[in-house]
Amino acid sequence: MLRTALNLARPLPLRASAQRSFHASATTLQDKVPIPTHSYSPTEPITTLAQRDSNQLSLETPKNSAEYVLSTLDKVANWARQGSMWPMTFGLACCAVEMMHMAAARYDQDRLGVVFRASPRQSDIMIVAGTLTNKMGPALRKVYDQMPEPRWVISMGSCANGGGYYHYSYSVVRGCDRIVPVDIYVPGCPPTAEALLYGMLQLQRKMRRSRKSVIWYRK
Amino acid sequence: MPSLQRYLRSIYRVGLRAWWRQLQYIGDAKSGRLVGADQFGNKYYENYNAEEEVPGRHRWVDLAQHHYHASQVPPEWHSWISHIRKDPPTEDSIMQASRQPWQQPWTENLTGTRGAYKPYNTVAPKINAWEPKASARA
Repeated sequence: MLRTALNLARPLPLRASAQRSFHASATTLQDKVPIPTHSYSPTEPITTLAQRDSNQLSLETPKNSAEYVLSTLDKVANWARQGSMWPMTFGLACCAVEMMHMAAARYDQDRLGVVFRASPRQSDIMIVAGTLTNKMGPALRKVYDQMPEPRWVISMGSCANGGGYYHYSYSVVRGCDRIVPVDIYVPGCPPTAEALLYGMLQLQRKMRRSRKSVIWYRK
Repeated sequence: MPSLQRYLRSIYRVGLRAWWRQLQYIGDAKSGRLVGADQFGNKYYENYNAEEEVPGRHRWVDLAQHHYHASQVPPEWHSWISHIRKDPPTEDSIMQASRQPWQQPWTENLTGTRGAYKPYNTVAPKINAWEPKASARA
């Protein structure tokens, strides 16, 4: 009781920062220097402030010339990957219709280099669109296993995210992350084509963070 | 209507420096009225001349950050740019009046950073791992 009363008495921004730092590791400076909850600076946006003292920031900051070269090579590889994301379509239900809308003229995924590829052996991304049933589970895993590395998975819609409407059904997998590792979850029932496209752009953001050769060098 | 004249006219209006920036971030040469800027420094433009901008492309944003994405547009300006509201939030009295005192400042999508939203469970786990407890042999 006392704790909730204290929480309410505190001004709003402080509470928000407490929520954000809830899952951060305790060894960082976060507790001493609280990270601001928002930033209006274009050169130091909130996403940069949130990455302060993180392993990711350390990976992105080269410490010597070898790391500089390697991280540049990483950036080139990331750029190439971002520019031609070929999703493997795994359309299972009504979400697949929205996925088709993403390919159609209005949202036009092709301008971002996103081209649907029906073969798992030549695609980087799998978009799981729709309810994944128990019967379809092994097929999904098999298709995922056939994809070459590096590969990413986008889970599209409530059903693929966590079972959604069919969560309590006897024949539905409660989220496709029980079968394959998922990178991006797109919420919605079904998500709009715009939301899925935003999810693709977020995946580009994730690809941009990859520093695989720097990790190899530091090991 | 996109044409070479329109492209050159836009370059003449905005200047070479702004054109180069547009080429990097928008991929087109666009000119129009500067409607306003939000708290993050994103600039919003419109051009209702159908001869210059195809209807549907007549409102646009010049985002301040290099790694831009759609959630950097705050909700007030989002409603302007997607024609939910006719007037920009700087002029829209209803939009200004609907600002609540308890409203928190807008933050962009923090996914992939340490500020990302992570849900947690407060319910006792339904599945508990088996902890072997062997009683000492007599």
